[in-house]
Amino acid sequence: MSSRGLTGRLFVSPWFITLIIFWLFPLLYSLYLGFTDYKLLSDSYKWVGFANFRALFSDQQFLQSLKNTFIFVIGTIPVTTIIALLLALLIDKKFPGRTIFRSGYFMPSITSMVVIALIFTNLYSRGGYIYLLADMLGLSPPENGFLLSNKTALFSVMAMDVWMSVGYYMLLFLAGLKSIPKELYEAAEVAGASMWRKFVSITLPLLKPVMLFIVVINTIKSFQVFIEIFVMTKGRYGSSTAVYFIYETGLNRFEFGYASAAAYILFIIIALFSIIQFGLLKQRGLR
Amino acid sequence: MNKKYLLPALLIILAVGLLASCSQESKTEQGPITLEWWQFWTDPSISPTIDNIILEYEKLHPNVKIKRTDLTWANGHEKIVVAFSSGTAPDIIELGSDWIPEFSSTGHLADITDSVINDTANFYNWAPGIYKDKIYAFPWILGTRVLYINRDLMNKAHFPEKYVPTNWTQLKNVCYTIDSLEKNIYGFGSNAAEKHRLYKKYLPFFWSYDGRIISKDGKYCVFSSDKAYKTLKFYKELTNSCSMVDTQRRLEDAFLDGKVGMVISGDWLLKRIYNERPDFNLVTTLIPGPEYPGKSFAGGEYLAINAQSKHKEAALDFIKYITDAQNQLLFCKANFSANPSNKETTKDPFFADDINLQTFVIQMNASQSPPAIPEWVYVEDIIETALEDILFNDAPIATRLYQAKIDIEKLLKMR
Repeated sequence: MSSRGLTGRLFVSPWFITLIIFWLFPLLYSLYLGFTDYKLLSDSYKWVGFANFRALFSDQQFLQSLKNTFIFVIGTIPVTTIIALLLALLIDKKFPGRTIFRSGYFMPSITSMVVIALIFTNLYSRGGYIYLLADMLGLSPPENGFLLSNKTALFSVMAMDVWMSVGYYMLLFLAGLKSIPKELYEAAEVAGASMWRKFVSITLPLLKPVMLFIVVINTIKSFQVFIEIFVMTKGRYGSSTAVYFIYETGLNRFEFGYASAAAYILFIIIALFSIIQFGLLKQRGLR
Repeated sequence: MNKKYLLPALLIILAVGLLASCSQESKTEQGPITLEWWQFWTDPSISPTIDNIILEYEKLHPNVKIKRTDLTWANGHEKIVVAFSSGTAPDIIELGSDWIPEFSSTGHLADITDSVINDTANFYNWAPGIYKDKIYAFPWILGTRVLYINRDLMNKAHFPEKYVPTNWTQLKNVCYTIDSLEKNIYGFGSNAAEKHRLYKKYLPFFWSYDGRIISKDGKYCVFSSDKAYKTLKFYKELTNSCSMVDTQRRLEDAFLDGKVGMVISGDWLLKRIYNERPDFNLVTTLIPGPEYPGKSFAGGEYLAINAQSKHKEAALDFIKYITDAQNQLLFCKANFSANPSNKETTKDPFFADDINLQTFVIQMNASQSPPAIPEWVYVEDIIETALEDILFNDAPIATRLYQAKIDIEKLLKMR
């Protein structure tokens, strides 16, 4: 090997070694653990084949967590995307104080998730502002607050997540709107197109790349929802999600084999969704 | 690398490794003993006292050094588990009462039965430290819960001066009466929304009714009994009719704000009241029950020795030193702890002269800990989930209890 080649490899080695030790090795090792009955405090662990995976598919807690994760994904992504788009369309118009609104909507995205989750925990509790507001409107909120009821806990977390995320996606939509040539709207106006026609025929089609990008990253993020659940409900009241289940099993019960198997099931689900979404991107020539 | 350098390089690494390990070994054999101790007391009010106790011990034992490491409750358990798994656990470990079976059943803790058997009569609550009739942990600073009452609200509700509820009917009556005073005033504080809290509040009611979770032979779950049904029905009525339901901290805040008439809590609330609200019109009393006093939940801190420690005798000597009557008194005074494990300590005027501390001391005699089984962490979770379903989601009591029993028995069968 030439000294030039060796130097190059040496320069790359810190990154490469880090990649192997802290990324590749844990990834493969956890895959291996998924096929063992390894518990942290036990001395030995034996190969159990697909037993963990089979057990997971009959584990009601895991299935419920998975179901909740899907509800979270399906419930938040369309709502977040639509609200973010509407806000972007509003903010795109010129009006006094526009910057303040833009910053205001974006603010939650740069605030700590833990802080927001704690604030919302208070708002949702009995006597909290959201609770009182719901009570005043005659919506009969759950007696002990929104987070202490199986009927409302998960949806309350989802609502907070939507509130927190829209600002970030709004900015992405705004960037997309700025990239649409003004001439197209001018031509449509000359042709007598209505606002709705312009939106449907110009804005939406040209925003598709941004929209697909938003859906892809939001899907991956939503499948991995954890912090909100950890802070607000600790997975109680029917709000446990797949990542929370993995955390509980791995880091509270130290059943690493079982937790690894659950993590790989989630990994496969996210990978499948990502492949489908990337497929859509490719199909539409939007990559 | 040139191959001719490979072998010498490997030999040098091997030699350096061997020398390093030899020098380390000779250090442990000849030099002073260093006892590593992991503990959880990090509050500035108690840290200097622990340091002083260590200093005094080191003066008395010049050949022993105590290396103290502070853990936090947020991640201490994880650190201990990882340390045991990787063989790097310290000589002495402070453990929460419900963690002990997890480590003793896996052989990570030293059996200290023979060395402490003569001490058992002088200390409270050995039960959590015992696994299969062997003692694995020494009780240190314990904790129980008592009933805190806001006397101003009692007066406002026209209860006679010095009246406290002693049985469940009276408890319910006080709860309803205070609750009816104003819209935002509640009779009782009932726990929710946090792990490791709700079951500690419900189980004492169950135990007061002489209930058991696991059969005596440890093979069956007997939780879905008539006793559980009746106590849960009572607790549900208390929770849903006249209680504020929230986290422990928020219940205590509301209690101090005069919005909750009664809460069940530990000595930390007493410390908070003495420090922050010395003017608070407080009454502490024993837990009401079918027979007075009712049972309370006993937990606390225990000291255990790593089964792999090379200095077990020295470790036990230090444990006995730090848990002796005098050192526990120093500790309790500094930390305002109400339940030292050493019975002798509780005779000091510090406890006898304070009516509220006395309540804790007396309640300790009527306190119980959960069964010391390695599966407890899972059993606790099953019970807590069942309680939440029954209390807050209107699950039918008998059916849900039966489901919990089946789930717990599944766990027990996996042994």
